[in-house]
Amino acid sequence: MAGEKLETVEIVKEKGESPNIKNLGDFWNFLKKELVPRGHIATPFNIISLPIMLLGYVFIVLRLAYGLGKPVTNLNQEYPWGLWIGFDVVTGVAFAGGAYVLCFIVYVLRAEKYHPIIRATVLNGFLAYLFYAGAIVLDIGRWWNIYNPMIGNNFGVNAVMFLVAWHFFLYMLAALVEFSPTIAEWLGMKRLRKILGAMTLGAVIFGITLSTLHQSGLGALMMMAKSKIHPLWYTDFIPILYFVSSIFAGLSLVIFEGSISHKVFGHQLDEAHHKHYDDILVGLARICAVTMFGYLFLKAILLVHEHAVPYLNSAMGFWYLFEVIGFILIPCLMFISGAQQKNTATIKFAAILTMVGIILNRLNYTFIVYNWYVPLSEKYWPAPMELIITASIILTEVWVFRWMVNRMPVLRKPPAWAIEKH
Amino acid sequence: MEELFTYYDMFATKGVEYLIILAFLIVILAFWKFVNMKPH
Repeated sequence: MAGEKLETVEIVKEKGESPNIKNLGDFWNFLKKELVPRGHIATPFNIISLPIMLLGYVFIVLRLAYGLGKPVTNLNQEYPWGLWIGFDVVTGVAFAGGAYVLCFIVYVLRAEKYHPIIRATVLNGFLAYLFYAGAIVLDIGRWWNIYNPMIGNNFGVNAVMFLVAWHFFLYMLAALVEFSPTIAEWLGMKRLRKILGAMTLGAVIFGITLSTLHQSGLGALMMMAKSKIHPLWYTDFIPILYFVSSIFAGLSLVIFEGSISHKVFGHQLDEAHHKHYDDILVGLARICAVTMFGYLFLKAILLVHEHAVPYLNSAMGFWYLFEVIGFILIPCLMFISGAQQKNTATIKFAAILTMVGIILNRLNYTFIVYNWYVPLSEKYWPAPMELIITASIILTEVWVFRWMVNRMPVLRKPPAWAIEKH
Repeated sequence: MEELFTYYDMFATKGVEYLIILAFLIVILAFWKFVNMKPH
């Protein structure tokens, strides 16, 4: 009996039960305490990532002060879109698609099996939008005017960018509301947790609606460059391709990120979570396989519809087949095999291949097969500073994600008072 | 400047497109069963 009591006290201490925040002063003191690093600081990851991040911040200041051109970027009038829009924004948002897909599966389809990973996925989606979509600031020539679509100074309602700007902004708010119960639990605000918890379903439905529109909206952005994109990639249905591919891109990132979190933050997970994790991966692999199967058929129809079949027998055609077979068909087959054999290693490898395929696909649209008729010597290649800025944005997101997971009940169980009684 | 716009009859390929869609609808059922098949 005494042992049981001692154990309960230990658990309460370990979980750091709710802080007692009554005013702004209490909150500030609590935040100061939470900002203090926990554990070892001189880890290999920190030692490698910190200098890259700091260098990236210096280059960001240079870009904001001196403009978009050289030496920070290799962008020019012929290549206005480069690595930042291609990778940070367009690819980053596709990867963030896992949040809306999983929210749909858990909150609308009520597939409770996936509930243990929903918080980490929503947090990942929110941070992806905050950092990658936020990186759009770097891509805008006159970045100080970025608030114009919000305040009505030249709304530009006919522009795809207007839709994208508003959708990113609204989706970030929706994702924040979806994640906010976790923040309320961290702060120990019981009443606020109840209110925010009641808002979750509304925010989820709003978020899913927005996502379907802006995932395809990013594809619509590419339609402005009809004469510049190779006919094998250009189609009037790019928005649909972007939307469908965001489903398996997002879920592949969920598999990849979840597997890393599972190892790094494994001590925060309870035994039941560990036990069911393989089942979750198998379920996600099945969804990815079916979506990729549909995507392949869509690609086949569009190839015929756009009269692009003759182009397959050319250098660009081989590049196209390399993308479609190597990074869609093969991972699709691997997902099937992994799901049937319940082999998580195959599933994880397929997820990585899929992610590489999505990066390739999005970069194809923004600068590889964009201006495809230009000789290689005149093509755009990212400048070293562009690469470092991109790396620093990704690493900053990873740091913030780690900080939040280590402090908030993202992977570990929420406090007892917050567990809803059904 | 050379005109880069090329016009295609969007209905010219509809026969093949219908066939691909029909094939998809038939194959997706078998595919779904195959994906959910338990290993021997």
